[in-house]
Amino acid sequence: MPASPPLFAFKAVRKSFGAVRALRGVDFAVHAGEVHALLGENGAGKSTLIKIATGAHEPDDGSIEIAGEPVSGLDPAEARRRGIACIYQQPALFPDLSVAENIALRLEPAGAWRAIDWRERRRQAAMWLERVGAAIDPEAEVRGLSMPQQQLVEIACAIGAGARLVIMDEPTASLTRREQEQLYAIVRELRAGGVGVVYISHRLEEIFALADRVTVLRDGESVGTSAVGDIDEAGLIRLMVGREINQLYPAARAGAGETVLTVRDLGGAAAGIDGVSLELRRGEVLGLAGLVGAGRTELARVLFGLAHADRGEIRLDGEAVALRSPREAIAHGIAYVPEDRRRHGVILELPVEENISLALHPRIFRGGWLWRGAERLLAEEFIARLGVKTAGPAAAAGTLSGGNQQKVALARWLATEPRVLILDEPTQGVDVGAKSEIHRLIRELAEQGLAVILISSDLPEIIGMSDRIGVMRGGRLAAMLPGKARPEDVMAAALGRGESAGRMA
Amino acid sequence: MSAREKKRFGGGALLRHEAVLCVLVAAEWLCFNAVGPRFGTLENHFDILRHSVEIGLLAVAMTPVILTGGIDLSVGSLLGLCAIVLGKLWRDAGVPLPAAIAITLAAGAAAGGVNAVLITRLRLPPLIVTLGTFSLFRGLAEAITHGFDTFTNFPASFLFLGQERWLGVPAQAPVFAAVTAAIWLAVHRMTFGRTVRAIGFSPEGARHAGLRVERRIASVYVLSGAVAALAAVIYTARLGQAKADAGNGYELFAITAVVLGGTSIFGGRGSVHGTLLGVAAIAILDNGLVHARLPSEAAGVLTGALLVLALAAGALPKVLSDRRARRTPVSPSPLAKTP
Amino acid sequence: MKFNSREQVSMRTAESGMKYFRELSVAVVLFGLLGVLAVVAPAFFDARPLRSLAAREAPTLVVAAGMALVILCRQIDISVGSQFAWCGVVAGLLAAQHWPLAVAAVVAIAAGAMLGAINGALVAGLRLPSIVVTLATMVAWREGLRWWRQGQFVDLPENIQWMGFSQRAGQGMLITVGVAVLVLLAAGLRKLAAGRWIYAVGSDEEAARLAGIRPRAVTFWVFVAMGALSGLAAMMNVLQSPQVDPKAGTGLELRVIAAVVVGGVAITGGRGNLWGVLAGALLLACVSPALTYLHVEAYWSRAIEGAIILLAVIADGVRSGKERR
Repeated sequence: MPASPPLFAFKAVRKSFGAVRALRGVDFAVHAGEVHALLGENGAGKSTLIKIATGAHEPDDGSIEIAGEPVSGLDPAEARRRGIACIYQQPALFPDLSVAENIALRLEPAGAWRAIDWRERRRQAAMWLERVGAAIDPEAEVRGLSMPQQQLVEIACAIGAGARLVIMDEPTASLTRREQEQLYAIVRELRAGGVGVVYISHRLEEIFALADRVTVLRDGESVGTSAVGDIDEAGLIRLMVGREINQLYPAARAGAGETVLTVRDLGGAAAGIDGVSLELRRGEVLGLAGLVGAGRTELARVLFGLAHADRGEIRLDGEAVALRSPREAIAHGIAYVPEDRRRHGVILELPVEENISLALHPRIFRGGWLWRGAERLLAEEFIARLGVKTAGPAAAAGTLSGGNQQKVALARWLATEPRVLILDEPTQGVDVGAKSEIHRLIRELAEQGLAVILISSDLPEIIGMSDRIGVMRGGRLAAMLPGKARPEDVMAAALGRGESAGRMA
Repeated sequence: MSAREKKRFGGGALLRHEAVLCVLVAAEWLCFNAVGPRFGTLENHFDILRHSVEIGLLAVAMTPVILTGGIDLSVGSLLGLCAIVLGKLWRDAGVPLPAAIAITLAAGAAAGGVNAVLITRLRLPPLIVTLGTFSLFRGLAEAITHGFDTFTNFPASFLFLGQERWLGVPAQAPVFAAVTAAIWLAVHRMTFGRTVRAIGFSPEGARHAGLRVERRIASVYVLSGAVAALAAVIYTARLGQAKADAGNGYELFAITAVVLGGTSIFGGRGSVHGTLLGVAAIAILDNGLVHARLPSEAAGVLTGALLVLALAAGALPKVLSDRRARRTPVSPSPLAKTP
Repeated sequence: MKFNSREQVSMRTAESGMKYFRELSVAVVLFGLLGVLAVVAPAFFDARPLRSLAAREAPTLVVAAGMALVILCRQIDISVGSQFAWCGVVAGLLAAQHWPLAVAAVVAIAAGAMLGAINGALVAGLRLPSIVVTLATMVAWREGLRWWRQGQFVDLPENIQWMGFSQRAGQGMLITVGVAVLVLLAAGLRKLAAGRWIYAVGSDEEAARLAGIRPRAVTFWVFVAMGALSGLAAMMNVLQSPQVDPKAGTGLELRVIAAVVVGGVAITGGRGNLWGVLAGALLLACVSPALTYLHVEAYWSRAIEGAIILLAVIADGVRSGKERR
């Protein structure tokens, strides 16, 4: 390929939303046949950058060049015409429409009054799905598809549209290992075909495995671009946070105390787990590793009364308990910080203080009466204790950053003074600084005698934080490993030694 | 969806809305007081009160329903059905009036319970469920009366509630005040209101916080049904008759008052006092236009215009700022919500 | 729910045969009712009353078709009854002053489209919730008309009813128009890009925008179409009687929403089709006359309509509950 201007370039692009300066000068260029990784903490401006590139937002200042030619007034239709496609983390598909129609809506020309050839739509869809190696029925409704399947449909759309620039926003976040490998193969194939790929990921190892170059964004600025061969993990993290983080995980490990929670042969088809037995001791962090869909969140939901097991028993401090609803679980001292922070963890519109007291109503609001003073005191205590950065206890939780929202979610459950704390992906989508704060906090809580179950897909986190690691596969507890286990061993257990790997019901 | 997110964090917006509405109600009052010579009399104010109690009751009880993100279209029909039940019990079954009233209130709560069960057990959208019961309740009222039967000749002791004065004010006013105060306290000073709001903002989030979402949602519909029955009793006492078409179209007036009062149709945001102001704005307009010798139909036109203006005033600045950002989502209809 | 991909595919294929289950089940209930009537009360199928019934319901069907577009687009329009009344009065007044019927019809449709455009501008332009906007315009238009007409009927000249044809021919033409509108709209929804855009916007607005569709434009035009169809329906109604009632269409909004919902269009937008709406509208239309023929007292009809609506949504709820498992 001859030396040509970059396929797509941002030159000193700026963008503000009201008083918030989302991008304060981003330079960024992707060449044809290149996988360019984009890295940055949450809030660094990655999503704004994507939205400008796909024409959803207009930059305030700076220029966008496509194939060396400045463009202005990029809108989604124009961006699509110019061969820019984006695979979002949450695929932007139409849940009520068939796969074939979803693909067609992206590929067919504009024009409201053109007639539709359904047979041709199906033929095209089948062809593009085959190109990306997806065994999906073009007639299927998208709402019935799994997340990775939906991503494959998105990629089929992009390839079908003849995209020259494909932006992938954390595409592997919800994929199993094998699906990841499949995706990598597709990315490499795209690159070989001269497509420019912008690859956004939080997983450093992925960037080193896949990307040619990497650009780091920090506080809305591009702080550096480098070939991946010229930089190492520590260097990338340094660029991202602007400082060196020496110690990623808090070291101290207290000896575990007596058993708090005993689970025996817990199972149920509807609940999605199949005969889980485990013990949890006071002062211990039990990591739960496994692939997405291996039954970790499902187990947590059963323990929190959100789902119900058909068999098995749960004992707390030796006493058999029935957990039919979250309320009963809370009464028994179980707390669950869910995976989806924005939908389940906090209520974005409610003030921080109301979020913190939400699980405590029967305890602090005697007689159903809102004792606002008690609530405020409680909130202030936890804001100080967890170091929540907020304008005040009355600020809506939605105005906080992701990491601080997570702390609010955590505060709600710590306020219930639980015996068992279940954390489901507590650091997903949280920036590096807040992440280490949350790690420190988990360790502190364990040292104070709390029993913690830590569900995480971040292997270094699991290994760094846990005293013991339970690995789940197919709804069962496949292995129980010591805290210092090798990543390869955890992965092997999660995959069932590679051979029968995959997701199961 | 992100447009909604932005809209959600306008904390002071509600207070501002109520302040504007307060000014509007005052302006209305001053205007009509200047134009209509009889408008400002005490007697006329009692008249306004008497005529707005039923819709006021429905609107106040509708407020927590809409705060959960739901809606209850069946209240007008239920008012009709309850009026018929009351008349039937008293005249044909020979039940003494106090007992008949108690049974009617229980029947209203039970009818609200039908809505509640369908909405919470089967997770059906409230709009559709209550659209169905809107037809069903009115249909039952028609079936019981064969479409023409009218119950009249209620004893004076009963009509007292709707037509006479007690302690110098219309007899239904203390009832309305008590119900409103109770609902206000529940919504604004008790955990009831807190959970209702949490559910309106995010039912799943509320469930994960251990709140009893289904039970709370069920309770707002039962409350709405019981209050509709109470409104039916007062309505019957005021008019001295019960007919199957009682309360026809009241559901839309009640919803109008609630929304005009600043409660978000998407749930979560709103207040009972806002609703009261909404009811007052409509009631004064209705009455004042007559005193100003203007056609009463203008009230409907103005109410509609007011409703759009109230909403547009809130939306306009956002639309302008969004236009710059070129984000263009349309609000989906909130009816899609299921608990 | 997590399946491996092969299971997923086979499950989906099995279900695609059930794609029209909802529409078919309404049709089955409708034919069941007709079957019972055929046995018990064959008089129901006498040509004259049946034709009258169909002609009377043809305008409702047209409005229901429009409402289906609106609900598919994930909006709602409560103001159709008031639009219907205005358009009827306007068309009636023109006809009373001996304007050609074609002119009256065009003006009625244009007036409806204009009223629809106001809703559309408020919903799509200012992004106000449609349920509140159309609630407001419903009250405003209805009261405005009452203010203007003071409840007066519009008397029509002799030759207006049935367009001067025989009753039989007139009714036939109205039925034909109603069915034609429905068929054309159904075909448009399936075969035209614009039709699919309505589904797309109703299914996921953000995804539609990303696919290069302009959701606000689509929403606006859907409301305009709804208004135009209300106008057409009003004209079809005017042609059936010697007078125009300014209170016509009171309660029409909830009746047509019921027909659309019974017909299986999801209130959450993006799902459903007009054949279901046809079946739903016919089913609800048949209830009242069927009762008469079955010697059930007519005042039960409202209650039974309500029960049908509830049964339809309960069936939906039970079914989606099963899917969730």
